[in-house]
Amino acid sequence: MRLAGKCAFVTGGRQGIGRGIVNAFLSEGATVTTCGRGPRPGGLPEDVVWHELNVSDPAAVNIIAEATDILVNNAGVQVEKTVVDTTDADWELVMGVNARGVFNCCRAFVPLMPKGGSIINIGSISGNVADPSMALYNASKAFVHGLTRSIAVDHGPDIRCNAICPGWIETGMLDAGFDLADDPAKAKQDALARHAVRRFGKPDDIAAMAVWLASNEAAFATGQLFVIDGGMTAASPLYPGLF
Amino acid sequence: MKLDGKIALVTGARGGIGRAIVARFIKEGATVYAADLTPHGSLNAHDDDGSIFLKLDVTQEADAIAAMQAVRRGQGKLDILVNAAGIEIEKTVEETTLEEWNQSFAVNSTGTFLTSKYALPLMREAAKSGSSASLINFGSYDGFIADPGLAAYCATKGAVHALTRAMACDHGPEGIRVNAICPGYIDTPMLQSFFNGDGSGGGGGNIETLQKAVRDVHPMRTYGTPTDIANLVNWLASDEARYASGQLWVLDGGLSAQVQQMKL
Repeated sequence: MRLAGKCAFVTGGRQGIGRGIVNAFLSEGATVTTCGRGPRPGGLPEDVVWHELNVSDPAAVNIIAEATDILVNNAGVQVEKTVVDTTDADWELVMGVNARGVFNCCRAFVPLMPKGGSIINIGSISGNVADPSMALYNASKAFVHGLTRSIAVDHGPDIRCNAICPGWIETGMLDAGFDLADDPAKAKQDALARHAVRRFGKPDDIAAMAVWLASNEAAFATGQLFVIDGGMTAASPLYPGLF
Repeated sequence: MKLDGKIALVTGARGGIGRAIVARFIKEGATVYAADLTPHGSLNAHDDDGSIFLKLDVTQEADAIAAMQAVRRGQGKLDILVNAAGIEIEKTVEETTLEEWNQSFAVNSTGTFLTSKYALPLMREAAKSGSSASLINFGSYDGFIADPGLAAYCATKGAVHALTRAMACDHGPEGIRVNAICPGYIDTPMLQSFFNGDGSGGGGGNIETLQKAVRDVHPMRTYGTPTDIANLVNWLASDEARYASGQLWVLDGGLSAQVQQMKL
């Protein structure tokens, strides 16, 4: 039980990566609170506290903020558009949740966190290299990467702050993407071939890193971006050979 | 002209990229020593381009010493060194023999070390003029992310990147700037060899199909030319780049700015 006695606050715990982190923290002995837009989701373990919260609302975040050992800023949205196609409303949504939401939570929670606290932000490989037609999402994740380093520098040695940068993780969104392809099976095969481990990630893969970063084993890890993508971005975009 | 009065030495000067650099330097007014194994190099042609040919095997310390002695006798200084000599072996780690591994490092990494080692005293002389001297190494985008079947090549370029930063650190106070250019896919004999090779690159496919496939994966929808590389080398060599040092300059048409381009 690597997180026994620790309290954790995970944003965006309704589904996907966030839910995976909630479950992993619980199984490691942490007391977990999570949040999201809308009512408590079905299937969330009873001992997990749920708050209805839009992280882009600073006043609402300030009300919810509490002393916690571990803060995971996982809540995120994506809009698939180029810069030219992006509306002001898209900006408010993507930057509001992905960038301002992380900022709101860090500003509200940092003063309440005890020494030895760990903040884990969910960045993305898209903050390092660009996914096509995801302009604001890519930019919002680069913001998360920059803020991660700043918090590590400004609030060490009391608080550690790192980011996990997931690649393609199996969620409903991934299958929805393949369904749009002319030949979904072929598209999936091509995508798999571009992963050195020949599979897509699972929420548990990201949760495993989150547990480690939250634990005392990671006491010297701060200010870093940890890419978990099955080796995809270690390879040239030409991989596995277009020939 | 940007390089009037400058003395430059380019290794691998008779290869695809090296030849373009030599031509550009001469156009910009530099005196250029073109160093390579033979006057013909990989293009099997020898331009009478106004450069001074020096026979140089970058893996041989004696050759490096002799080349720099020739520059010292002729000019007494060296403003610009471009370490462009390089080879590529298209194999995975398991397929690579120790001899091939050593040869890759001998040319790409040790060659950069040896030429730089014996050029630095001449570059310090040049820096006394008040303008910084410029040492330009050849890394590769393969030093950041891997092409399949190029294990030793990727490793040698990673070494060049680290050496670049180390030399920038050590010799900046002496007025010597050190940078690396990291090309992506450039239309050179080395690229054609990759298309035609036995590795996971070409494998004997239709070359036009291969070329189109490579172009299409680039955001700029083209691969580069030696002239594209020479343009950046020329800037880094010039006094306009007087504050640029210790950096790895990727020039790849945006290839490595993107994630994998899935076939959706």
